[in-house]
Amino acid sequence: MLTGIKKEELINDPHFKLLSFLISSARGCVYEPQLYGPLRLVDAAARLMDVMENEGKVNDDLRRLRDLIREKMYLVMYDEEGFIRFLDDVSRELAKIIK
Amino acid sequence: MSEPNLPEKAKVVFEVIKGRRSIRAFEDKEIPDEYLRLILEAGIWAPSGGNLQPWEFVLIKKKDLINKVKLISPGLFGDPAAIVVLCVNREVAKKAGRMGEYLPLMDISMAAQNMMLMAYALGIGSCAVLSFNKVALKELLSMPEHVEPALIVTLGYPKTVPQPPKRKPLKEVVHVDGY
Repeated sequence: MLTGIKKEELINDPHFKLLSFLISSARGCVYEPQLYGPLRLVDAAARLMDVMENEGKVNDDLRRLRDLIREKMYLVMYDEEGFIRFLDDVSRELAKIIK
Repeated sequence: MSEPNLPEKAKVVFEVIKGRRSIRAFEDKEIPDEYLRLILEAGIWAPSGGNLQPWEFVLIKKKDLINKVKLISPGLFGDPAAIVVLCVNREVAKKAGRMGEYLPLMDISMAAQNMMLMAYALGIGSCAVLSFNKVALKELLSMPEHVEPALIVTLGYPKTVPQPPKRKPLKEVVHVDGY
């Protein structure tokens, strides 16, 4: 018997969704192509920004960073070099936010 | 390469094959049951080794269950209206002897392609997804031990259709009369 949050609420909880994504991805990364590891990480970063947005912790810079990830992450499926350049771009944009 | 003057049937088949894209963003719109039935029926008309038909398909239409599958499927993008989990029945696959280890996966793949082509012909987008947690999916859908989820096909009306990715040219991948 679960105590605390109800199952239906838990399943729809944004933190729980991210948690499920991380665990499922961890198992997948054992056999998936090497570059799917970075793909899952940046995808998780975008999902985390969704959670942060719900909590009012996102500004326009972070929204742009999330949009960049969502726009470019599929490069992994047809342009490996482009995907790696995209990871550099995301890193650079993150540094600009931190700077 | 220019295409020769093709028979009408070949033109249609080629258009469907070349037009299908992997769709990862869907409209919030239900697929009629009749269309889903046609898509599944296209699947069972795929060839299979020894005509074993080692497949079983789990159709999921309930939104809350699709959302649960999404929780354990990192490669499932967008909000599809329905998903089909293509499974191998390992008891049936045993009849193929040692080939039963990998032959059903080829059969399942051909069934999936049939489904995706039929979906495209009906105006429905699809995407084959292998990145899901098999152990978790089996538990979630209460699958018996001898049934193994092998592939997911997502289905829904496309919100966006990506450009076709580049194809390797024939001369790079085809060898005639020897390698």
